[in-house]
Amino acid sequence: DTAAFLPAPQNLSVHSTNMKHLLTWSPVILPGETVYYFVEYQGEYESLYMSHIWIPSSWCSPTEGPECDVTDDITATVPYNLRVSATLGSQSSAWSTLKHPFNRNSTILTPPRMEVTKDGFHLVIEVEDLGPQFEFLVAYWRREPGAKEHIKEVRSGGSPVLLETMQPGVTYCVRAQTRVKAIRRYSAFSQVECVEVQGESLPL
Amino acid sequence: EFRFGSCRVEGVVLPELWEAFQAMKHTVQAQDNVTSVRLLKQEVLQNVSDTESCYLIHALLKFYLNTVFKNYHKKIVEFKILKSFSTLANNFLAIMSKLQPSQENETFSISESAHRRFLLFRGAFKQLDIEAALTKAFGEVDILLTWMEKFYQL
Repeated sequence: DTAAFLPAPQNLSVHSTNMKHLLTWSPVILPGETVYYFVEYQGEYESLYMSHIWIPSSWCSPTEGPECDVTDDITATVPYNLRVSATLGSQSSAWSTLKHPFNRNSTILTPPRMEVTKDGFHLVIEVEDLGPQFEFLVAYWRREPGAKEHIKEVRSGGSPVLLETMQPGVTYCVRAQTRVKAIRRYSAFSQVECVEVQGESLPL
Repeated sequence: EFRFGSCRVEGVVLPELWEAFQAMKHTVQAQDNVTSVRLLKQEVLQNVSDTESCYLIHALLKFYLNTVFKNYHKKIVEFKILKSFSTLANNFLAIMSKLQPSQENETFSISESAHRRFLLFRGAFKQLDIEAALTKAFGEVDILLTWMEKFYQL
């Protein structure tokens, strides 16, 4: 019986970027066999008040690949325990538990991708849509000595936002930053993008 | 964020709590046969000053975490609403862990007022049979969330 003893998955770790949390582990390899995995989680409440309680992951009970998107399971900004077990037919391995509990406030926040365009004399920005938890802070200014930086809060990405009516011959620059209230953190600013509108001065 | 007087709590998204409770509400409230009683009655939650609110929410959340959720968990498993319950409980825990009600002398009378409100709630809870009390208290989380909403700013 090739699976008399089914080893538990090893090397569990969580890779989290922009509030997308991916649990990965080293696959259990048995030649000619397909091993499945079950993933379970418990939040701080469960581990403090009822540590025997583990909740099956939304998408990986079971799953075939050595990874699991646990984003929908991590729904509070508290430490979460995660564990994985391998199964082959009726055989199940021991549980392997993530060494350190995962808290979503450790997610890596990247500067948002954005597109700065001109719509006639209008300076317009569209920031990528990263999901409902994301807001953006957009800074824009006229590229000239002593220019003041203006700030605009953009509540969600994925749609164009008017920043300002531009004056011909003046260059306007923009940069943006991601904000996630659920974890009280924000990303670095994006690269600066500048645009200029050609043409005569504005009609009276 | 929540602002219960001087107590500020960031990192909790109230709509996520509502979503979690809505997923359980019908199942839980359908079990409540004692319709003539309300635990979180008006005398408990009405006209609560900002300063008082931090003391009151701390006492209420502590009771819910230590007593209601803990003892109602078998039903949660039975009703198969573990995920939504976990979201609610862990967010309540996140809120409570960030609340630091002031312990200074000048706020003693305020904390006493909040404590009397909490005792009203707990007294009503103890009047009922434990199963009925747990069911009713859990079913009244929407009343609690509605009150908490007053102190929430987007």
